[in-house]
Amino acid sequence: MPRILTVDDSRTVRMILTKQVSELGFEIDEAEDGEQGLLKLEEATYDLVLLDVTMPVLDGPGMLARMREAGNKTPVLMLTSESKRTIVAQLMKLGIDDYILKPFKNDELKRKILKSLKMGTDLPVVPIPDDVPRESVSSGGGEDGSPARQFVDILLVDDMENVAKKFRAALPAHLTVNSCVSAQAALNVCRERIFRVVLIDNEIPDVDSSVLMNQLRVLQPHAAFLALALRSVNKVQNEMKELGFDDVLFKPFQPEAIDDLLQRYFDNQELLLKEDNVLKVAAFQGRAERMEKYYARVAELLNGGIETVAAACFDDFIVDVSQMPRDPQRTAQLITAVDASGKKFGMQLRLVGPEDVAKLLKSFAETSGMAVFTSVEQARAA
Amino acid sequence: MSAKPAIDHAKLGEQLCNIVQKRIATNTLVLPSLPTIALKCLSLIRSPNFSLKDASTIVEKDPLLAAQVMRQANSAALATREPAKTILAALSRLGVDKLRTLLVEVSAHKVFESKDSRIAAACRGLWDHSLAVASLGRDIVALGGGGGEPDVAYVAGLLHDVGKPVVAALLLEAEKMAVGGWTSANSASWIESSAWISVIQSTHRKVGVALAEKWELPEAVVKAIRDCGDYDASDRPCAANTVRFANAIAKREGMYVGPVDHDDNNALIMVGTSLLGFEEDFLRRVCHGLKERMKEAAA
Repeated sequence: MPRILTVDDSRTVRMILTKQVSELGFEIDEAEDGEQGLLKLEEATYDLVLLDVTMPVLDGPGMLARMREAGNKTPVLMLTSESKRTIVAQLMKLGIDDYILKPFKNDELKRKILKSLKMGTDLPVVPIPDDVPRESVSSGGGEDGSPARQFVDILLVDDMENVAKKFRAALPAHLTVNSCVSAQAALNVCRERIFRVVLIDNEIPDVDSSVLMNQLRVLQPHAAFLALALRSVNKVQNEMKELGFDDVLFKPFQPEAIDDLLQRYFDNQELLLKEDNVLKVAAFQGRAERMEKYYARVAELLNGGIETVAAACFDDFIVDVSQMPRDPQRTAQLITAVDASGKKFGMQLRLVGPEDVAKLLKSFAETSGMAVFTSVEQARAA
Repeated sequence: MSAKPAIDHAKLGEQLCNIVQKRIATNTLVLPSLPTIALKCLSLIRSPNFSLKDASTIVEKDPLLAAQVMRQANSAALATREPAKTILAALSRLGVDKLRTLLVEVSAHKVFESKDSRIAAACRGLWDHSLAVASLGRDIVALGGGGGEPDVAYVAGLLHDVGKPVVAALLLEAEKMAVGGWTSANSASWIESSAWISVIQSTHRKVGVALAEKWELPEAVVKAIRDCGDYDASDRPCAANTVRFANAIAKREGMYVGPVDHDDNNALIMVGTSLLGFEEDFLRRVCHGLKERMKEAAA
């Protein structure tokens, strides 16, 4: 069983060290200054010395110098509140194994004791994870293996490999995906590649997923972070958003949810173009089943656009719906909502669209009184 | 032409040092100002009426700055499927914080540029070193889990040696004034290099602080430049400690121009590792690919 000598003039420090070392299952002896320490070394063999710097009678550097002069090569771990580099440089020349600045954390103490005794380390996963081999990161589709700065669409972090397989199968082939089964691998790969979307299982062993998310977010400041969660009746979506995730993707994966993900983060189409106080809605592209999602997205974007225009202190705002589909009900509902949004900020809506849009709006009570201009210039001049 | 007089370099160095310190104390040291465009942009950012559109109008007037903005917005770190095609789009992608950091970075780079061939190479090397310290500092704060703002560490790292090229330029001026037209780009320096180094080492930090204050940088950055000489054990996660540590790591990785006391540097790393709560594996991770990343950043 390893035997450790602690040399420190503080009784409190010796008590703490004795407790920590005993918890590791090692034997420990104490000395209150360098002279006593040297006597102990003559009486017994130790595997490690925990040595303070500032002590009466004989200080740490003095004891260390005499140890080495006498040919004693016992590893020494300096435990000190001394942080001046000149003193530490001197100690390093005399031969210390490691250094701990007081006050210290028990984790650091135990880790460095184990390391000095060459017994392996017990490292926390987050925030100081181990390096891991590249083999723990698997990839799918389109990578050329080139180093750093490679752009990849999605990173999925889940300790169950089957999740990655299912996810990959649900995506179109042109999207590139990396998957990691551990927090350490995720941190490593985020140092080397750029992701658009990062999916993190909300139950990864040994690590808090929100802590991992925060760390990865620093490495991937422009990525969207989604939590992977089991579908349940709990309000996990709100919970995850409160923790800082942008959204949640439920497992098992549903085709509609994957479609939403693709449209939200990988759809190139810009649905709303903004210039000063003009908001122009782009045409609908895609399957008819997605029309509702299109209107919902346009409504969301228009609300954001109206806020931006209001923040710029415009008195009115122009919405150009010329390219929108001619879905009477949905279009009328959207325009009514947009008008109401503008009124909240005291702004007047000026609508731009062709004649058939004007006719369409006349058939609804809520929009029948709205003037529709044929061009942005006309709307501005009004 | 008469021969050069014999010079007591140690005394000369001391005198030059006193001149610099006196000028700092009396606020008569001429420090580089922020370039006009950067100044306008930073003032705009501080104003309550800030808009990215106004910022883009200013940035567009400086082709070099505009190019930097486009480059960073379309870099791999911020890449999306569609590249930003206008300055406004690029600024939207960068965001205010990154724009602020970029403005300081572009301004600081100018300080490290010198037309004098005797110090140009050294200044370039110093800039590369500063970039490395900035990048390491930012990563250490971001990944270390100890709190702190990565961007503050980045700017502090970038400017921790900014006083050196300023003092070097001052010494060149002093030399020219003292010897008239004798010195040329290829002639030996009238001031011995050991005196140069001594003056720079003993004054650059105060000059750096004066510059940071003139540029109205955040107090945390000013403090980091002033206090990064020794670790502050009472405030472990402070930016100054991070910069000190990152500086030592950069030197260990060979990213420094000038002599390095390896014993001293290793001691700094050993103390910093415990002070900031890291271990070797973490250091390996933040240093991984550092030289390649710095080459890319400098390109």
